[in-house]
Amino acid sequence: MNEFATILPVIFPIIAGAALLPVKFRNRKQREFWVLTITILNTIFALYAVYFADAGVVTIFHFSEKLSLTFHIDGLSKVFATMVSVLWVITTVYAFEYMTHEGREDQFFAFFTMTYGVVLGVAFSGNFLTMYLFYEFLTLATLPLVMHAMDNKARHAGKTYILYMMFGAALAFIGFIFIYCYGDSIEFIYGGVLIPELIKGHERTLQVVFLVAFFGFGVKAAILPFYRWLPKASVAPTPVTALLHAVAVVKAGVFAIIRLIYFSFGTEYLMGTWVQNVILIAAAITIVFGSTLALRTPHIKRRFAYSTISNLSYIIFGAALMTPAGLTAGLLHMIYHALIKITLFFTAGAILYKTHREYLYEVEGFGRLMPITFISMALTGASLAGVPPFAGFHSKWALATAAVQSSNQVAYLGIVALIISAVLTALYIFYIVVRAYFPRKREYAAGYYDHVSDPNCYMTVPLIMLTVITILIGLFPSELLVVLEKVATGIM
Amino acid sequence: MTGDSILLLPVLLPLFAGIGIWFLKEEKQRNFIVFITIAVELALIFYVSAKGGTLTVWHVTSRLSFAYHIDGIAKYFAVIIGLIWLLAAIFSMEYMKHEHKPRRFFMFYVMSLSALISLCFSANMMTMYFSYELMTLLTFPLVIHTQEPQAVRAGMKYLGYSIFGAGLGLLGFFFLNTYCVTTEFAPGGTLNMALTEGNEPLLLFVFFFMAVGFGCKAGMFPLHAWLPTAHPVAPSPASAVLSGIITKGGVICIIRVTFYLFGADFIRGSWAQTALLVLSLSTIFMGSMLAYKEKLLKKRLAYSTVSQVSYVLFGLLLLHPVGFAGALLQVAFHAAAKNILFLSAGAIIYKKGCTLVTELRGIGKEMPVVMWCFTIASLSLIGIPPAGGFVSKWVLAQGALSSQFGVLAVVGISILMLSALLTAGYLLAIVTDAFFPGNSYDYAAMEKREPNYFMTVPLTILAVAVVFFGVFPKYLGNFIDTISGVIF
Repeated sequence: MNEFATILPVIFPIIAGAALLPVKFRNRKQREFWVLTITILNTIFALYAVYFADAGVVTIFHFSEKLSLTFHIDGLSKVFATMVSVLWVITTVYAFEYMTHEGREDQFFAFFTMTYGVVLGVAFSGNFLTMYLFYEFLTLATLPLVMHAMDNKARHAGKTYILYMMFGAALAFIGFIFIYCYGDSIEFIYGGVLIPELIKGHERTLQVVFLVAFFGFGVKAAILPFYRWLPKASVAPTPVTALLHAVAVVKAGVFAIIRLIYFSFGTEYLMGTWVQNVILIAAAITIVFGSTLALRTPHIKRRFAYSTISNLSYIIFGAALMTPAGLTAGLLHMIYHALIKITLFFTAGAILYKTHREYLYEVEGFGRLMPITFISMALTGASLAGVPPFAGFHSKWALATAAVQSSNQVAYLGIVALIISAVLTALYIFYIVVRAYFPRKREYAAGYYDHVSDPNCYMTVPLIMLTVITILIGLFPSELLVVLEKVATGIM
Repeated sequence: MTGDSILLLPVLLPLFAGIGIWFLKEEKQRNFIVFITIAVELALIFYVSAKGGTLTVWHVTSRLSFAYHIDGIAKYFAVIIGLIWLLAAIFSMEYMKHEHKPRRFFMFYVMSLSALISLCFSANMMTMYFSYELMTLLTFPLVIHTQEPQAVRAGMKYLGYSIFGAGLGLLGFFFLNTYCVTTEFAPGGTLNMALTEGNEPLLLFVFFFMAVGFGCKAGMFPLHAWLPTAHPVAPSPASAVLSGIITKGGVICIIRVTFYLFGADFIRGSWAQTALLVLSLSTIFMGSMLAYKEKLLKKRLAYSTVSQVSYVLFGLLLLHPVGFAGALLQVAFHAAAKNILFLSAGAIIYKKGCTLVTELRGIGKEMPVVMWCFTIASLSLIGIPPAGGFVSKWVLAQGALSSQFGVLAVVGISILMLSALLTAGYLLAIVTDAFFPGNSYDYAAMEKREPNYFMTVPLTILAVAVVFFGVFPKYLGNFIDTISGVIF
């Protein structure tokens, strides 16, 4: 029974989504009813599996002695799955309203629902093969979502998307082969699975392989130099950019990297080597680079996409410190950033939906007219910039403290990157807010303020909920920290 | 929440009152409420200063908490800030008649006070950093108040520099979090000596960057460039408090970092101290030089702030009780004098619309009270008795000599003298032109332009205070001695 409970949240939405594909709903109400039912049911399934099932290792199918399709819910899975399943419901509600202006909702929600299962598949994977499988599925399931508009721009973005993803997965596959050959199993075990006797003499090779696999998974996490797909993919409908390209897909990349570092290669083997320095530096560069480009991008959604690039590398930086404190900080930022960025994208979506304005110089003076949207943006923006006592401050604090405690000179460089990025973040976020609340003195064209108002409750309620959660979780981070510490030390 | 919860009141009162002021559309009513709020706030500050106490608002995590604490520094700064805030508010009531959106101005003006008081009362790093950022964010709308493209650009520059400065401070906090026993401020520093050993170079580096970062708000080279851009574009009362008070926010942070986290003994004699002394001295000279060359009155005053606040930093970084006393005296006198100067500049803009120094010929005949106050403030900034600036500069010079810095002390004093000369050049030139316009001046076109009591009374009070404390500096001095007695 418990085995089934573990698999159900993965299978159910995939089957349900596939079943939705051929269905033509008569009206909006009907579709909303079915999609919402499936989503909420699956969230219940997922949360049940995470917190109550406790099935241990569930092997479904053996390909060979070492290769198998295995699920195992450990601490890391719990964190990732909880985050995804809560946010999925909220986003679905938001998408109901938003997608009315994009059209072809039947198809959209079918693939959207399928993706839910696939993401949980990544979260629940018990070994490298299973994760790799769902990792590839994730690309395929989300491709139709990215190309949803089906105009040339969207199709081009889709092609870029799939090219990058396949390339990245291929690199990661190399890592998988070496783990298969040099490890005593391909399962995820805290501390790594490499056999010391086998790797003797091959350290150099394995380090290079680690790097290759790291950058392979790094493609989804948009690490430099493989970031280009992400800003391009912001042509996708806002719910997709918000949930997938700020949370599910990109964080699957980060999740895979954490698995790779802590559960396959093991920190003991990697810590203090040149490889660690390389990935620390790569993360630090990406942090500053993403923020800089965000500041230079006037297109609001692309600006947030660049911001995501920067923030994903905060998490990678934390993970790359290879200490429990570092991983804790990284996971904390993963959760905070998920909440914050999804809210920010929702605000951008609200503006786009109501007024079709996409550039920040087109939103001057909107603040007063769309109060909920812009108050949410201001508050979560302050969180992202790391103004205490908001959420982003704690994660940054934890990251930097972990970096100091690691007493690695290269990690100090990362702290500097964090500080520079914090300034840039404040500028690129507040610039929009300032434009909205303090319009420049000039003549505005007639009709400039037409249709400028908050969207209806489908969109505002998710926004308010997310903002409130973000603030609360920022004010009371202690309980969360305790849980994450357990995860990061492998107790949970 | 544990401790004296009364401490929360002076922090929260302006915050909520500010929000309330937003809803007051009627001008008279709003002015009245603004006045009452700040007056009550001032009374509260006096009350809690007399009472003292500590308060932990809440523990965010085991090591991070929001906590307030009243000590000498907190009292000293909070009282100065409260007093000047009240006077500038009275001035604004008249001045804002010719600016747009006065409601928004007063809302943020009153709310900023909350951030400042919170900064003064902070008992640990996190609270201080929080208040510091809040101060930036709440004063930002004051800077861009006119919403001219130029003002918005200046505002963004202000935001960028301030947050970068605060970021450098935060960078230091990350390290101190590890190397300090607690993150609470304690006189004499809280460095964990066991951990510190062997890491001194790193920590000195950290100290240097923290001081430079917080020095940003205080307009210290190399992060000074925002100040002459941002201060002049704000409405004059806002420029006055930005220059006179907000810059002192940076000073408070530097005091806390230097004397309450690292401890003077750790820094004394290090390269970081020397480097920062050199930086502050170059800022003193550079600011005066740039002010001397500047033709726009408010911008000239802003450059003057760059120079004058670095006097404070110079005094602090001597790490000597006498220098420290000089620095704190300079804080008070500069705050008062610079407010007079900016408010006078505001009165001139309000009544006559002049912004250039060259347009001020004969203005002393038209606005005698304003220009007399201006003159007294100028004398104070230059350091001519009986104005207060003389005392602070005298004590600073004494501090430099008694700190046994040898060559640097002598260079320092020469730069102080040189800067005083330049200050005389850029301020007294205005005064001379204002009162003695010469024969070519068209006396027929002259008219009485003296502003009403809303403007003249705050100016007069400040001018009287500058002279009074210049003649009787011991009232301030005795108090400062009790502070420095604890930290040295």
